[in-house]
Amino acid sequence: MRYRNLILTIALSFSFITIGAPFDSTYAPQNSPIIFLKNANIYDGEGNELLGYDLLVKNGQIQAIGKNLVINETGKVLSYDLTNQWVTPGIIDIHSHMGVYSAPGVKTSSDGNESTSPVTADVWAEHSVWTQDPQFSLALQGGVTTFHVLPGSANLIGGRGTTFKNIQSNTIQGMKFPKAPHSLKMACGENPKRVYGSRKRAPSTRMGNAAGYRKAWIDAAEYKDELNSYVSKSASAKEIVNPPTRDLEMDTLAGVLNGEILVHNHCYRAEEMVVMIDIANEFGYKITAFHHAVEAYKIADLLADNNICGALWADWWGFKHEAYDMVQENIAIVDQARGGKGCAIVHSDDAIGIQHLNQEAAKALAAGNRAGFDISKARAMKWITLNPAQAAGIEDVTGSLVKGKDADIVIWNMDPFSVYAKAQKVFIDGNLIFDRDNLSTKPVSDFDLGIIQPNLSRTE
Amino acid sequence: MNRIHLITVFIFSLSFTLNADILIKNGNIYSGDSAPFIGDIYIKDGKIHSIGSLNIKATKEIDAQGKIVTPGFIAPMTSIGIVEINSLDVTRDDESDYLNMGFSIFRAYNPNSTLIPWNRANGITSAISIPQQTSMPLAGMGSYFILDGNMNISGSKDMMMLGRIGASSGSRSEDLDLLENLINLGKLAKNRPYEKVIESPIAVFFELLIQDIEALDKVANEGLPLVIKANRASDIKHLIDIKNKYKLNMILAGVEDAPIVIDELAASEIPVIINPMDNIPDSFDELSSSLELSALLSNAGITVLFDTSRSHNYHLIRQGAGNAVAYGMDYLDAIAGLSTNVANVFGLKDRGSITKGHYADIAIWESDPLEPASIPSYIFINGIESDLTTRSSRLKDRYIKKLDKK
Repeated sequence: MRYRNLILTIALSFSFITIGAPFDSTYAPQNSPIIFLKNANIYDGEGNELLGYDLLVKNGQIQAIGKNLVINETGKVLSYDLTNQWVTPGIIDIHSHMGVYSAPGVKTSSDGNESTSPVTADVWAEHSVWTQDPQFSLALQGGVTTFHVLPGSANLIGGRGTTFKNIQSNTIQGMKFPKAPHSLKMACGENPKRVYGSRKRAPSTRMGNAAGYRKAWIDAAEYKDELNSYVSKSASAKEIVNPPTRDLEMDTLAGVLNGEILVHNHCYRAEEMVVMIDIANEFGYKITAFHHAVEAYKIADLLADNNICGALWADWWGFKHEAYDMVQENIAIVDQARGGKGCAIVHSDDAIGIQHLNQEAAKALAAGNRAGFDISKARAMKWITLNPAQAAGIEDVTGSLVKGKDADIVIWNMDPFSVYAKAQKVFIDGNLIFDRDNLSTKPVSDFDLGIIQPNLSRTE
Repeated sequence: MNRIHLITVFIFSLSFTLNADILIKNGNIYSGDSAPFIGDIYIKDGKIHSIGSLNIKATKEIDAQGKIVTPGFIAPMTSIGIVEINSLDVTRDDESDYLNMGFSIFRAYNPNSTLIPWNRANGITSAISIPQQTSMPLAGMGSYFILDGNMNISGSKDMMMLGRIGASSGSRSEDLDLLENLINLGKLAKNRPYEKVIESPIAVFFELLIQDIEALDKVANEGLPLVIKANRASDIKHLIDIKNKYKLNMILAGVEDAPIVIDELAASEIPVIINPMDNIPDSFDELSSSLELSALLSNAGITVLFDTSRSHNYHLIRQGAGNAVAYGMDYLDAIAGLSTNVANVFGLKDRGSITKGHYADIAIWESDPLEPASIPSYIFINGIESDLTTRSSRLKDRYIKKLDKK
């Protein structure tokens, strides 16, 4: 009996308690030096443009930000004069498949879709991650310090997604963002109905999709009730009742219903998104973000009212029917809904795009302002920093340059909204992880090593 | 560059007579083939009549003070007009059922495709549309289209052939062998009726038809541009040998491993089409991929044209060119790679640069055209000002009005 309780405790901690769960993050930042960034132009990720400001980093965190900061540090201080250079928070991508669709994109590394059943809430994308994917280092050189890895969109419910720091490690746990919540990947529309419909099984239609989600949530609600009723029993009562059988799939879905796992929903069409909002209301969970959402602009007010982010491309379209109604103003419209209460995110879903999220934001910003909005660059910077941090549930520790947050920082050689801008230095938790002025800092994966010339790395 | 003169049938059916003459004043002109200069451009009868400091009165005058003026850009590898929605077979006409090298996409071109106004409004005034790659080393023929959306299609039919060498389920060695065999078949067709050539064992084996032999004849004997997608250094080297051996008008696309064979490639005078933003080692053929590729090739004297990995948004070759410049490519080389170089490489007559006597395909830019956030303020195709409305702008207008702006 005691053994059975132990199992249940593990089950519960697995599902409801982040700390001490299996596969927990083992990433611990190295001791970071004291860093003093002087006279920089800063987009702080909170919507402010701070020209000629100083920024102090201590113990891996942002210590102070201000004009003409006076520092009284006794230890060694790494000081950078950043006149005419720009500083932003580390860039965050809320939609990546790095590690699960690694490069080279060969079938043995195609680990992003468990497309064997339309509901696979039991799988975790992190268990597919190949730590030696050469794409991580390329993203870092584009200023990306944090990324969220999702399962693909073949399934109605594809499994858990995980947030990573862009830290080189040969374990998955060594890269995981400490204490970041999991996400649940859900997918609307063409992909699931194509994958399963072509096999003559459900779902083969959008109505089949909707039924599929609802069936899964009915099961999850039952499971959650059973668990809760067992947990609320007295110790003596527990001695005579069997605990519910542990179910990995239900663990994940119950985690969503308990608000501990954030729903990230791939969904293109306006009316489908509204159906998904109704399903979320029916079962009492919240949708954190709609991803890809090419038609988000058609329901931007509704998204703002429901506090749902739109994680969007600047201009992708036409590769399928549900992506036909693209407007380049999509991101700006979502951002500006209800007088600026919207949450817009520029995401990549692409190993090239992730390296240039600043350029994608620049396109979306220009299109929005051309259409008559008055959006500042400082606000647009939130689309690739604070807003994705919020959608990943890590906005308290990263995503903007405010005192006490992780010192995840990018120094750009010029205004990052230009195509000519490059991430010059990238800090994660106050450690200089990439320095364009010292290319030996460039992380080299095991894959890259000696693969073309034995004495060189791939990118040398 | 020592290019074989291109024999293609140009099928222009343009009617300029009703068009107003236009004067673009004080533009910052990046002509595509010269250093930038401030000047005026006078457009008459669809063509660039004169360039310089002009004292001419025109029906329509545009003040381009402080604006960059470029040729309309030319996208060399697109599906414009032949694929509307990638995942819907019924909207795509880029795959053949029984033709091989002779497969022509020309008559599939839809002047009403939504991709035409979209790419035009973003600075692309003409494009080459190509068939899908097949398992064969030579796939089919691409055609050149002026993106004016006119039902009387203008451009150039079957003006290039597409091929590929590289990673596949079979062996690239066999593919290279097959490629040579097919070129030899084309050589054979020079002095022999096509009806005889299709009786050759290789033609019989692959069930080639008259159209296929005719296409091979053009590539093997008439200098029709042959664009081969290849990335691995060893493949590039073999293709250089084949180009020299058969005196082909070869262009290589991809070439992500080019840094390893840069000297041989430069010596071959083969132009290349690359995606400057693709630094992903997507396959074991592309391990050298990097953002510095454009600069490396261009600085070695190799003619560089641009491709993008995104469908539908072929105008993103501008963003690619911008990134190429960010990573060391000369700005003027990048502009040429979007315009003049495409025209030169593919023998597109009287297009691709702001030159007296050329068709007036011109873009006046809001700001730097290599900044992806920049768009054209004006587009002219054959001297006619384009309407920059798109289906996308219509959707935007419909919904932006409905927004609660409180």
